[in-house]
Amino acid sequence: MQKLWNDKYSVYLCIACLLLCAGLVAGCTTSTSQPATTPVATASATQPATPALSGTLTGTPAPVNVVPATTTAAPVTAKPVPTYTPSEKTLIVFTAASLTGVSKDLGKEFSAMYPGRTVVFNLDGTQALKTQVENGAYADVFISASNSYTNTLKGEGFFINSTVKPLTTNYVTVILPASNPGNIQSLADLAKPGTKIAMAANSVPVGTASYTALANLAKSTYSQDWNKSVFSNVVSYETSEPAVATKVSLGEVDAGLVYESTYSAAPAGTLTAITIPKADNYLQTYTIGVMKQTGSTSTAQEFEDFMLSTIGQQTLKDYGFRPVS
Amino acid sequence: MLEAHLHKQLRDFPLDLKIQANPGEILVLMGENGAGKSTVLNILSGLLNPDTGSIRLNGKSLFESVSRVFVPVESRNIGYVLQNSTAFPHLSVSENVAYGMKARHIHKDRIAQQVDHWMELMDIKNLADVKAGKLSGGQKQRVAIARALAIGPDLMMLDEPFTALDTESRQSVQDAVCTCVSDLQIPCLVVTHRVADAREIGDRVILLNRGVSCWEGLPSDMPDAGIQLPS
Amino acid sequence: MTFSFLEPDNYWRTLTTVGAIVLIASVTLYLALPVVALFFRTTPELFISSLCDPAVTSALWLSLSTSVISLGIVILVGTPFAYVHSRNTYPGKMIVDTLIDLPLVLPPAVAGMALLVLYGRVGLVGRYLDMFGITLAFTTLAVIMAQIFVASPFYLRQAKSLFEQLDPSYEKTARTLGASPLRIFMTITLPLTAGGLVSGAVMTFGRALGEFGATIMFAGNLPGVTQTMPLSVYVGMQGNFNIGLTISILLVIISFTIMLAVRFLAGREGRHA
Repeated sequence: MQKLWNDKYSVYLCIACLLLCAGLVAGCTTSTSQPATTPVATASATQPATPALSGTLTGTPAPVNVVPATTTAAPVTAKPVPTYTPSEKTLIVFTAASLTGVSKDLGKEFSAMYPGRTVVFNLDGTQALKTQVENGAYADVFISASNSYTNTLKGEGFFINSTVKPLTTNYVTVILPASNPGNIQSLADLAKPGTKIAMAANSVPVGTASYTALANLAKSTYSQDWNKSVFSNVVSYETSEPAVATKVSLGEVDAGLVYESTYSAAPAGTLTAITIPKADNYLQTYTIGVMKQTGSTSTAQEFEDFMLSTIGQQTLKDYGFRPVS
Repeated sequence: MLEAHLHKQLRDFPLDLKIQANPGEILVLMGENGAGKSTVLNILSGLLNPDTGSIRLNGKSLFESVSRVFVPVESRNIGYVLQNSTAFPHLSVSENVAYGMKARHIHKDRIAQQVDHWMELMDIKNLADVKAGKLSGGQKQRVAIARALAIGPDLMMLDEPFTALDTESRQSVQDAVCTCVSDLQIPCLVVTHRVADAREIGDRVILLNRGVSCWEGLPSDMPDAGIQLPS
Repeated sequence: MTFSFLEPDNYWRTLTTVGAIVLIASVTLYLALPVVALFFRTTPELFISSLCDPAVTSALWLSLSTSVISLGIVILVGTPFAYVHSRNTYPGKMIVDTLIDLPLVLPPAVAGMALLVLYGRVGLVGRYLDMFGITLAFTTLAVIMAQIFVASPFYLRQAKSLFEQLDPSYEKTARTLGASPLRIFMTITLPLTAGGLVSGAVMTFGRALGEFGATIMFAGNLPGVTQTMPLSVYVGMQGNFNIGLTISILLVIISFTIMLAVRFLAGREGRHA
């Protein structure tokens, strides 16, 4: 092993270069400082339905009566006149995972309406997308499955707040594999010992919605004991809505709580469903908004307009989503 | 006394050899690389089996192809020092020498006494607690030999025992081997390619060429010419 | 003051020296900085207080216990397997050799999917197990199975290679000295390969501890039952950032401790030839 240096001045030169490198690396890797407490604080303040990961997941859920956020009626515009600009533009749209099935058609129709534009959907649980955005990920448009997450992002200044509008709604439903291995005939059967249920984690919007629906059912029809038994039958808390549907369609669980749209869009004969009465159900409202960081506000706005247009809304309806009331 | 008749088909030629060695006699096996010398030792030890043949040691049959007698390696009581001496590097010298006796569940006092004795004879007593991995080639060789002798074998076999040694060690190891063998009165087979070694310690020499013996006799009568042996 | 480093010979030497230092520094920083950043993102008070959170303690206990059990099984079954495999030729040996490496290149999610499709309730094998009332998917056992599947190659390859490289002369000599195969294995083979086996075991443990994709697919995500630390980090990152951060830091500390312990043990054992 040769001596790395035996000349004084080469030492000085090395130290200087090392400092330069360290400075460069430190500068590039240090993100804009965000105190760790902020996300936690805002999350718990605006999400009364989200208990800490711990306590309620194993026991009785906290009794919740969440009033759906008041929504202004989405203006249903006539077919928009596309502002055609000759440049190629790809939009990055962060989209709640429950829109996975409908996203392909939406993308095609948007490109048809606005030639030269393409959309790339980043599909994941809304909570995951929110974390990505908060840690610097780039998005032009954000479609959220949860009002509270939307409000958090608005409060943190990620949205152009004036563009945030309700997009569509969805109810929760219970799906079963077509063969119904658990012999579930009614919602009461969900509490049967030995039943295997899959649900989304409570940080996922459909998870919170499921919790609420079950709590409402316990209050109105069944008992708190029923609620307890249902939760003790949960074998897995998934991190996105499609993951719940997968476990059910694979037949590995007896039942799962997902959105109605997932059931409607499933291929015939793969799933059965048990409806949750509207009175007890939780109507999830999706919102859409343009991000402040977008490179092209006009194109992003075009996409939002498209989603809110009759064409976009009809496509959503075809896949089982409900219109905003 | 060793009496063996071995026949085995090797890759390029058949090995066909008759061997006899008397107690206290050092029989030297010589030949080119690949002539089959090490194979002979491996067969005698039981690590390899001949196709046909018989091996008798002190009247006891170790292998008999006709009547299907086969004594396993562990029970043959043959001291075998392999090529490239294999002193166990992670054990101390005394643990090395004691290894065979321990395997036979001999009482530990007797083991200690024997270990002392053999270490003394091979002049490694001062290294008793040193890990064998730290020793020089010559020292490792002595350890291996002491270890083989310590089990009280009926036959000693050494494969190229002097190759890795310098002149000084070679002389003392050769002397030690000769003394031990004559003291114990057991036959001893030594494989070597060095003519000088054969002359030093051998009582008889067998020259092996392509699996068969092409010359047998006293070391002093060994024909110099016509033998292509690496020096 | 002579700037001797500007002279032709010294110029090149200085350049290569600087290059070497820059190279070492960049690699070190690239690996170290992200880990360090974890610690800077939280405060000591926040960290300590979240240690008591049931989400953290249950994930910690679950991860450590399952990883230890997985490692134990891999060592107990894998060591004799690797030994037999390396010392013998048998028909299909090459296929087995390749299969040992398979989990290394298979994406963990695929591994999880495969385990689910085989052992799940409606799986190829699982359906028969289900008839006897045996459930595998979504249990802690599934966590262990997933860990063993993805982590065992680290140990098996290492053990296999060690046994292959071990000079067979040692074992042959031991045989001639009268030692039984078991004695040979315990007194000769194992001690001479122990160092390498330990490092293989460490890698296996680390991989088992960090397993995520196969676990979430096959075992699911249930706190206290199947929510291991990596799963907890992932979920926490989305819902409760602070918990995710705390568990990440815990994992770093555990990994470091293991590495240091192994270094210490290896140093004490001394070097064998």
